[in-house]
Amino acid sequence: MRLVGRPIPRVEDARILRGRATYLDDIEPPGTLHAGFVRSPYPHARVLRVDMSDALSDPRVIAGYTSLPGPPMAPGGKVRFQGEAVAMLVAVDRYALADALERVVVDYEPLPHVVDPAKALEEGAPLLHEENGSNVAHTARYGSPDAAGAAAPRVLEGELRVQRVVPAAMEPRGVVAAYDGHTLTVWSSTQVPYDVRKEVAGALGLPLSRVRAVQPDVGGAFGSKLIVYPEEVWVAAAAYLLGRPVKWVATRSEDFRATTHGRDMGLAFRVGFDGSGRVRSLWGRITCDVGAYHWGEGLSDIAARMLTGPYDIREAGVEVVDVYTNKTPLGAYRGAGRPEATFFVERIMDMVADELGLDPVEVRRANLVRGLPYTNPFGMTYDTGDYTGTLEAALSRLGYYELLRWADEEWARGRLVGVGLSIYVEVTTFGFETAIVRAEPDGSFTVVTGTTPHGQGVATGIAQIVADELEVPLESVRVVWGDTALVQDGIGTMGSRSITAGGSAALLAARRLREGLKAAAEQLLGSPVQYSGGRFWGPNGEAQIGDVVRAIYRGRASGPLEAYEVYNARSTYPFGVHVAVVEVDPETGHVRPVLYRSYDDAGEIVNPLLAEGQIHGGVLQGVGQALYEEAVYDGEGNLITANLALYGVPTFAEAPRYEVRFAERPHRSEHPTGTKGVGEIGAIAATPAVVRAVEHAVRRVRPGARATSTPLTPEKVWMMLRP
Amino acid sequence: MRVGLRVNGTFHEVDVEPRALLVHVLRGLGYRSVRVGCDTATCGACTVLIDGRPAKSCNLLAVQVDGAEIVTAEHADGLLERLRKSFNAHHAAQCGYCTSGMLMAAYALLSRRERPSEDEVREHMAGVLCRCTGYQNIVRAVVEA
Ligand code: FES
Ligand code: FES
Repeated sequence: MRLVGRPIPRVEDARILRGRATYLDDIEPPGTLHAGFVRSPYPHARVLRVDMSDALSDPRVIAGYTSLPGPPMAPGGKVRFQGEAVAMLVAVDRYALADALERVVVDYEPLPHVVDPAKALEEGAPLLHEENGSNVAHTARYGSPDAAGAAAPRVLEGELRVQRVVPAAMEPRGVVAAYDGHTLTVWSSTQVPYDVRKEVAGALGLPLSRVRAVQPDVGGAFGSKLIVYPEEVWVAAAAYLLGRPVKWVATRSEDFRATTHGRDMGLAFRVGFDGSGRVRSLWGRITCDVGAYHWGEGLSDIAARMLTGPYDIREAGVEVVDVYTNKTPLGAYRGAGRPEATFFVERIMDMVADELGLDPVEVRRANLVRGLPYTNPFGMTYDTGDYTGTLEAALSRLGYYELLRWADEEWARGRLVGVGLSIYVEVTTFGFETAIVRAEPDGSFTVVTGTTPHGQGVATGIAQIVADELEVPLESVRVVWGDTALVQDGIGTMGSRSITAGGSAALLAARRLREGLKAAAEQLLGSPVQYSGGRFWGPNGEAQIGDVVRAIYRGRASGPLEAYEVYNARSTYPFGVHVAVVEVDPETGHVRPVLYRSYDDAGEIVNPLLAEGQIHGGVLQGVGQALYEEAVYDGEGNLITANLALYGVPTFAEAPRYEVRFAERPHRSEHPTGTKGVGEIGAIAATPAVVRAVEHAVRRVRPGARATSTPLTPEKVWMMLRP
Repeated sequence: MRVGLRVNGTFHEVDVEPRALLVHVLRGLGYRSVRVGCDTATCGACTVLIDGRPAKSCNLLAVQVDGAEIVTAEHADGLLERLRKSFNAHHAAQCGYCTSGMLMAAYALLSRRERPSEDEVREHMAGVLCRCTGYQNIVRAVVEA
């Protein structure tokens, strides 16, 4: 029986559930020293002097650095965001380190700062990077921005905004490095061990063969660990120079400032449409506040290129401006550009419907792309699907109209509930991925995947795929990852690509190994053979796959013992419809998410149990974006939501009930797995659905109320409820 | 200062700095299931049982709990095994960083209440944050353990 498609519980759980998982802070080679950073309290300042002499006079302090191989600390003698590193100390333990960090004296000359991207673009604004001549980090144009919005019977203009949020993976970032005189081993809480290895080797002038990067168990990332951060290189450099193991683990408050934030995009738009709700044209200008350094390249470009969403809007153009401000650098966060695009276009669809007094579903139906593949005005080619058919199926499976009627009845009883719907198409998967499938001497198999899972359950999914391909039991396949001593290249887990790119690589490697073993079996048996269920057979007899493997190991047959596959994966496009139900307290403006239903055509689903888990988690992050979370900077450039006590990561109390469905007859991608990816769907679809649900509820009291920015805090909702 | 702790049934006597946090002392003793996720006593990743009640071990000094009976997620008994099975069956752990805290909070609840309702689970466990699962599978796992 095929394993793919079955809700198999994770095989990687045992360690985690026994408290035996090994996260970064659990790695401590004997004699490990502890590193920490002196960080700027100012958003923008010149660093005049760093005096570490008092700290270094403590015998428990081993070293202090204001520069190390790798990126410069305080480049050009300036800090550009609150929390930027100025110096690094290394001490014998965490407590000594904490004492010593207090004793470093830094003279700063505070500089005028800017935290508002609109102000950052004004003439005379303080410049973060003087050599750049302005605070513009990047501009681009997609489609035909000049033509878009020319002639349409109706035109609507407006501005929308998606706030800055903190990814807040439960495990903060950290790195441990140890040099044994020959090999420098770097353990990092990262999504990209291959990049860590390359950057560390490059900074130290070491050949790759002498640097090993290991990704231990990682306590969540959501895109916030997919660049190589300066700390990773500096800690590795210190371990190399000192010849002693060095560890750095961020405190939560440090992580809030030193790990990339997400989203933070605004859209100015002009949409042209006719009386039936058919959208004729869409013009947009996206302003993205990238913070102090352009670490998150491409986020606004993706948002721009997906701005027309699943709708066939022929005349469209977008301009993109990325702006430097004195904030923590922006980076990828679950969805990375698609949540913003989806929020924008879904809000626009709702507004068009409201302008015309039409059912928002009607307007969407009138505009949905018909006939795939379809290339949107920005050159993105949606691969497979039946958007109108999936919408109709979704409306009935999700009970959308029933929920609307129920909301009416509840209102008649005095309860303020709202129902919101969103539709999305998103782009997943890119680049190459690697896999090695190796036959072990007993006929079991080890798969090394180039992906870098950190909670998704990719190891179980890939084991299902490989076990199916080899026709062996799941228990015969073990999947490992995250160590450049096991596999030297890959990209990693991000962009909902792991099962599609990594799974396809593993599937093809397994297929090739199986073919090679078949040839070996033919030598052994002296005839053509067939294979099924772990057994080769022919006219002269039969052999178990393990027998063939052993014969190769012992030189009695020749054939491959492993297959290395590099798979180049083109992008693919999941599509779906989500519905959120919220209850609004008219007295306080507090919003409680009650129910969340989803219907997704994400291609083949390898493991529904794990795929549902991805939707749940993603949805709650989208709910947090809609209602609770925001990285707030005050006028002085302080991050005032600076830790988990001040920042609203949703708790048990804020989580709705999820009812997840996948399309009964999904549209496969072109990839061998037929999958499209599920990791980011929830975070993409949930925010606009929840926002519409709040609007729907509020309009019982205030007809015409409109939400244009997130989060919909109690204060904001309370204001919407008032005349 | 000398502190005596019984952890998962094993007695330890340790010399600690007066300011040493219980979480660091437990991790130093090898109980690495006790995780640090914040510096404001908010996340609950460090939750252990102290004399049968759940407590955030980052918010206590080791010297405050001298003589205490402590249970961590490394512990093995019938109830914890049931919880582990149920967490696995319901896919209640993703990255796993919150999981020790979740198991400990659930263990405390189920120790005094056989069949809690969903709402009771949500209320009782609200002190532990999870960024991955969206919570529903954890609730199911505890209700059906
Ligand atoms: S470490 Fe977060 S509550 Fe203890
Ligand atoms: S499973 Fe990752 S924080 Fe809960």
